[in-house]
Amino acid sequence: MSDQIKINVNGSEIRTDSDQLIIEACEDSGIHIPRFCWHKRMDPVGMCRMCLVEIETPRGKALVPSCTTKVSEDLVVDTESEVVKKAQEGVLEFLLINHPLDCPVCDKAGECPLQDQTMAYGPGESRFVEDKRHFEKPIPISEIILLDRERCILCARCTRFSDEISGDPLIEFIQRGNKTQVNTFPDEPFRSYFSGNTVQICPVGALTSTSYRFKARPWDLKKVSSTSNCSSMGCSVELNVSQNKMLRILGEDNEFTNQGWLSDKGRYNFEYLHSEKRILKPVLNNDSTNEISINESMELISNEISNDENSNISFIVGHNSTNEEYYALNNFVENLNKVNKDLNMDVYLSDDYLYEGFFHNSDLLGKVEDLDSVDTIILWAQDIKDNLPTLYLRIRQAVKNGKKLVIFGHTNTAMKELSDSYFGHEIISKNLEFNVEISEIPNFNEYINDKNVLAIIGKSSPIQNTNPISNLVNYLDQNSNLKLLNCFSKGNTFGALQNISLVKGLNEFINEFDSSEKNIVFTIGSNPVNSSIYSNQIKDKLINANFVVSLDLFKNETTELADIILPTTSFGEKEGTFTNLEMRTLKQNKILPTPGSVLNEWEYWSMMLNKIDIENSYESELELNLNLCEDYLDKDNVPSFDNLNKPSNLDGVLNSKSINIEIENVESGTLEILFVNRLYGDSSTQINSPSISMLGAERFIEMNSDTFIKRNLSDYTVNLVQGDITLQVKIKINNDLPNELIIAPLNRRGFRDIDTTKPYELIEVKNLKELSVN
Amino acid sequence: MSWDNELLERAHKIIELYPQKRSALGPLLYLAQEKDGFISDDSIVEISNLVDITEVQVKSVSSFYSMYKEEQTGTYLLSVCKSISCEINDSRSVINSVKEFTGLENYETDQDKLFTFEEVECIGACGGAPAVQVNYETVEGLTPEKTIEMCEWLKNDKPEIIVADQLQNKFGGTKSFDWAIEDNTGSAYTVPGFQNIGTAKEKDN
Ligand code: SF4
Ligand code: FES
Ligand code: FES
Repeated sequence: MSDQIKINVNGSEIRTDSDQLIIEACEDSGIHIPRFCWHKRMDPVGMCRMCLVEIETPRGKALVPSCTTKVSEDLVVDTESEVVKKAQEGVLEFLLINHPLDCPVCDKAGECPLQDQTMAYGPGESRFVEDKRHFEKPIPISEIILLDRERCILCARCTRFSDEISGDPLIEFIQRGNKTQVNTFPDEPFRSYFSGNTVQICPVGALTSTSYRFKARPWDLKKVSSTSNCSSMGCSVELNVSQNKMLRILGEDNEFTNQGWLSDKGRYNFEYLHSEKRILKPVLNNDSTNEISINESMELISNEISNDENSNISFIVGHNSTNEEYYALNNFVENLNKVNKDLNMDVYLSDDYLYEGFFHNSDLLGKVEDLDSVDTIILWAQDIKDNLPTLYLRIRQAVKNGKKLVIFGHTNTAMKELSDSYFGHEIISKNLEFNVEISEIPNFNEYINDKNVLAIIGKSSPIQNTNPISNLVNYLDQNSNLKLLNCFSKGNTFGALQNISLVKGLNEFINEFDSSEKNIVFTIGSNPVNSSIYSNQIKDKLINANFVVSLDLFKNETTELADIILPTTSFGEKEGTFTNLEMRTLKQNKILPTPGSVLNEWEYWSMMLNKIDIENSYESELELNLNLCEDYLDKDNVPSFDNLNKPSNLDGVLNSKSINIEIENVESGTLEILFVNRLYGDSSTQINSPSISMLGAERFIEMNSDTFIKRNLSDYTVNLVQGDITLQVKIKINNDLPNELIIAPLNRRGFRDIDTTKPYELIEVKNLKELSVN
Repeated sequence: MSWDNELLERAHKIIELYPQKRSALGPLLYLAQEKDGFISDDSIVEISNLVDITEVQVKSVSSFYSMYKEEQTGTYLLSVCKSISCEINDSRSVINSVKEFTGLENYETDQDKLFTFEEVECIGACGGAPAVQVNYETVEGLTPEKTIEMCEWLKNDKPEIIVADQLQNKFGGTKSFDWAIEDNTGSAYTVPGFQNIGTAKEKDN
């Protein structure tokens, strides 16, 4: 803890923490010091000198950069003296020497710190008559980022971000002096999951993104704060819209979640909203020429529901609905049950990684911010970097600040470098069980005994017996001061868990589906026929069902089997709340008009109820929100729209509800293949967003080099053959994997049909290639 | 793998000298330059694997320092000082004589890849100005005539190892200091001869 001290800025006294920088202390007291290179989430470098201020020293007044100088007791600072002004003018004059002043064609113009600060603090007139330095105008440094080196003012924000924050330093300054430029290494593009952040923090228009280039001018943008669906972290974002089109998503600094950063998926996955392929009217029998009115569709569905005396209705929900929509669905189920007790209804969440988790003891539940206060972070879950990218950044930050990181299992090899201890194949078997007693794991106890521990715990594989996970949690609970984050990574999973009385998994759907009875299935914003390891079985069941209704944005493998497709609203087109993995509820806001005759999910539920003459108690998101707020355990601070809109609650509200998950533990099989979900895949939203659609195309598997040698492979392109499935894949060597276990991406085309418990063959394709040449 | 086992072994020995792998970056770049006469992209990939930093981070360092060459140098790198002390002692005419003899402009290499010529900032031999370095071995007190003689000697004799003291005896004039110890080690490539990283070579006789 740091002490409070007082300093004097521009003649008035301010109080501040003793370990702050002058620029921070001033900022907190409302005194703005211009800056280019300093960013509050990164280490200071003092590159640009724009933040010069005058301080009093024993040897008289001195100009110092306020971003690298700490405050001290009774320090006297002047941020506006004549000397400071002269210095600012000088710095700007130098920065502008080589800056091209192509503002009229620059995306940044209008929100450009260089432009703004030149207006506010600049010399007003240029004395520079020489030739400016020239570089080739924008060069692509990755599939989605372009770099215009002429505009760069060498603040090193982008390079520091990639080194300090995201840990993939693929851009750096090269050359020096007048030739200094940011660049990548040839054939080594800036392929980072977090590259978009550099575009957002670049203080000039040097870094731009393909999706936003020349699309709008900042002053034409309509903006609203919201919460991203990209992962269960619930990153705070700002949605930028012009002429009713979403053009850009920016990260907002939420202290409790993303701290300003976003993954590129969260940032660039939005173009699908305006895709021509969106379904805009209810469709009958998957036949696009057979569009019907909403009224007709409601008629048909309610007839199906109410005609059946004795049927089953299953709801397979995805993770992109709002809490209000989940609540409305739950309300629909409850109301229907009231009038027809014989109806057998269940809600299944479409996420193979779902299991019962650890919710029983609410004292155990931790928060993301615990990362910054505990001694040790324990991680055993699915691949965090790919599935909870901004949580990955928070973990990196915590490790940088000295927290110990201990990783179990085979899914987070990408974080091994970061960890203090990595318990891979020596401790955890191929089938994700402990090879040794937990108490016997070498050096493990010293990380946890009597320490404050935050465990991030989830399933690493859809087919994983969870007993070892429970054993680990019990052991930690007994031996440490434990807090735990349940690691379900997808979108608004926790909103679904909080607002649906009982949630089951897809395996339950398959087991409980009784083909001898009448079955109605609703799929809601989920595509289980494409996104699950149970795809084939689910497909059979859906074909078998008497009536299938899909609520979705796009046609996909699941809606193909639907009798009726109901088009729904998407992110940005609806208002509601979102609950993240620490049970923080945040607001999602509407900024786009509803396209076509599309309705919100809750409107469909409400209309269906009306059609079968059941009263329901809500007519808007607001009413739903007020209703769902009634069941929160802490009544004093509920995430109502009103409460969330308060300035003090923009970071969200922590509150919990009872959670009921009923998922049977699967037998631990013999895993031959470990599936992981990659950040980029083949979801319909990504495929329909042209700027990022190609990023999920590569098909690769990972294995260790012993396996590669033992299988007599010599080429890195092979055919993976299992039964009658043949997939051409690339091999990447990952020596942290156990022998004979390969990692394959579940969400890339072709992999879903593979059975992870069955053997497979890898056959070199070289010969095939030769054949095809002839 | 563009580096052979011998070079890799030298690299590993160098890395062991430092508490952190990345600290070995500087010397490793000299090995790369010894190998090719410049820092090739292949060598950058190799070094990035050796010291666990990304390729562009290696490039950032190698492109920053002017003694790491980005383009192929000739067998003999002629670095003629143009800084103040040498300038006062007529380095201009030394520079001109080199230019005339080799036909090269600043930073150019001839077609036979024999000479690379560059004008450099102070090489720390002000007391014996004007000074020149051949493959980073210094000669002091040069005249234009002696400089041309030296270039001719390099061209005709093509010495494998360049040793400062021998250059000085053959072509030099006034020296800054006289260490009074005969030093027989010099450099065999366009890289400074350092004993600890093995770029220095001993010359018989
Ligand atoms: S590209 Fe932008 S962020 Fe990067 S150094 Fe240049 S001005 Fe700074
Ligand atoms: S903001 Fe302080 S030097 Fe750039
Ligand atoms: S000025 Fe030429 S050596 Fe110093």
